[in-house]
Amino acid sequence: MAAPDRDETSRATIVRVLSRRRNTLGVTVGPGAVWIVLLLVAPLAFMSAVSFATIENFQIVWDPTLEHYYDLFAGGTTEYSLGPVGFTTTAFEEAIMLSYAIATVATVLCLVLAFPLAYVMARLNDRMFKIVIYLVLLPFFTMYLVRAYSWVLMFGQNGILNQVLGLLGFGRVGAFEYGLLPVIVGLTHAYFPYMLVTLYASLDGLDFTLIEAARDLGASRFEVVKDHIIPLTMPGIVGGSLFVFVPSVGAFVTPQILGVGKVQMIGILIENRAIGEATNPATASAASMVVVVSVVAALFLVFRYVSLDELGGV
Amino acid sequence: MATETSEAAGEEFDDRFFDRGRVESLLQGGLYGFAVLMLLFLWLPLLVIIVLSFVESPSVVSPGGVTLSNYGGLAGDTDLHSSVVTSFSIATLSAVIATVFGVLASFALTRYRFEFREIYRTFGIIPMIVPGVILGVGLRFYFQSVPGVDPSFLATVLTHSLYGLPFVLLIVTARLYTFDESLEEAARDLGADPLTTFRDVTLPVIAPAVGAGFLFAWVRSFEDFIRALFVSGISATPLTQWMYGKITKASVDNLLTLNAVSTLVVLGIAVALAVAMNVGNVTGYVAGTVDDDEE
Repeated sequence: MAAPDRDETSRATIVRVLSRRRNTLGVTVGPGAVWIVLLLVAPLAFMSAVSFATIENFQIVWDPTLEHYYDLFAGGTTEYSLGPVGFTTTAFEEAIMLSYAIATVATVLCLVLAFPLAYVMARLNDRMFKIVIYLVLLPFFTMYLVRAYSWVLMFGQNGILNQVLGLLGFGRVGAFEYGLLPVIVGLTHAYFPYMLVTLYASLDGLDFTLIEAARDLGASRFEVVKDHIIPLTMPGIVGGSLFVFVPSVGAFVTPQILGVGKVQMIGILIENRAIGEATNPATASAASMVVVVSVVAALFLVFRYVSLDELGGV
Repeated sequence: MATETSEAAGEEFDDRFFDRGRVESLLQGGLYGFAVLMLLFLWLPLLVIIVLSFVESPSVVSPGGVTLSNYGGLAGDTDLHSSVVTSFSIATLSAVIATVFGVLASFALTRYRFEFREIYRTFGIIPMIVPGVILGVGLRFYFQSVPGVDPSFLATVLTHSLYGLPFVLLIVTARLYTFDESLEEAARDLGADPLTTFRDVTLPVIAPAVGAGFLFAWVRSFEDFIRALFVSGISATPLTQWMYGKITKASVDNLLTLNAVSTLVVLGIAVALAVAMNVGNVTGYVAGTVDDDEE
């Protein structure tokens, strides 16, 4: 009878320990906090330290310098002129501008394309909804890599799209070759479900009788959308845009396999400096820090309008 | 749906309302048509992969004959097998860690008021939002400087356990917010100690959310490519790294093999999702609309 007794005692000890609030707090907060500090805060702090360090013979020397940031922004070689003003840009500046431009286009496309579908989903009956949500979730859960790869087959000089055009008697379309258009389509397709699910979550909570009331009182369709539906689903719109925009800015796989070197987004540049041909941990870190800072700025902006609880959708 | 009834009533009284009804139904048709188009947009490339996994040449013009040989070749591919085992191991280990830590943290966030609570919550969500390239690069440099970790299997498990944490946190906190704490008080009043209360009262109620959180963390790890690219090193090759190798060395054989593997992935997810949707309220967790009726 020794074993159960010991079991009882250790159990009693656990219960006694857990009944003190401070201990419970420690047990629940502790592990997650340790993980976040060790695997999120420390690496990001380390990376920001590396971005200020000197690199000698591929070794990090802890000698603070701003050289890597300076290199990112100074000594541009590509010349542009905007009216009378001429300026030059560095590869980094171009990559970051391109990334933000592509991410903006993908976000707007996702928003415009997903909103009607999310609206329809919110108004479906239970049976139909179950079928549609299954059709939506399946691509959502399917490997990102598979979805990106699926567009490798669709686009390209001899891709499915051009083959189909050929069968129909049209010529090949140059825009369907790997490059900007496939990257935008690939990103839109990849993050579409995130936007859809987030929009649906906020549309689902919408009181549709409000809209009917507004219509009955003489509001036009446009006014109803502008004055009621959009303001009421703002958390979903902002949250969904965040879930599309941020990962799109840092995208690597999609521009890599659909852009074939023609679309140099920031993710490719960072990968290139981190493990690729032009390895330099300090440059990779500095470039990452610039992106982190801009993402944090975006988050601050967003959380002025929505709280995390309202984001809901994963 | 009430819109239609009110219009139907309107038609009887006034022609003006009849016109409005026609415009309405036309718009409605357009809306539904657009929705169907969007579903097609989501599905078209996946369907193309599935169709092109059963042909002899990856082309719609000259696909050759229908064949199962693309699948036959997979059986003997030992690299593929070991990468699948690696991915399953990484996903399972990291999802377990993420679930345990995530559930504990969810209790802290919903039950207690403590200093830095808001910061804790924000940092708990950040791993999900940080672009994968940056999390991967940051952790790679970090692990390289920590003796004994290095980019490896262990490093990948650690990385994915951090990446999975927010998914568990979001789903389980959402459930705990709607949890009726008087149930626990009742159990305590009737003499149950905290452990018994947790096991017999709390856990059964939050179990579906915990399961959904685990599933999410698992899938996110299994499908992750970019973080693993930086932290898996040369010693561990998850499935996504194996697939990426085939994509970058695109030959007809590689494409056909990829189509077959991708089809199996889609099929596996389709079955798992169908089961999960019938067992629990997956849609509720995904769309954040968990209601109380499943208690």
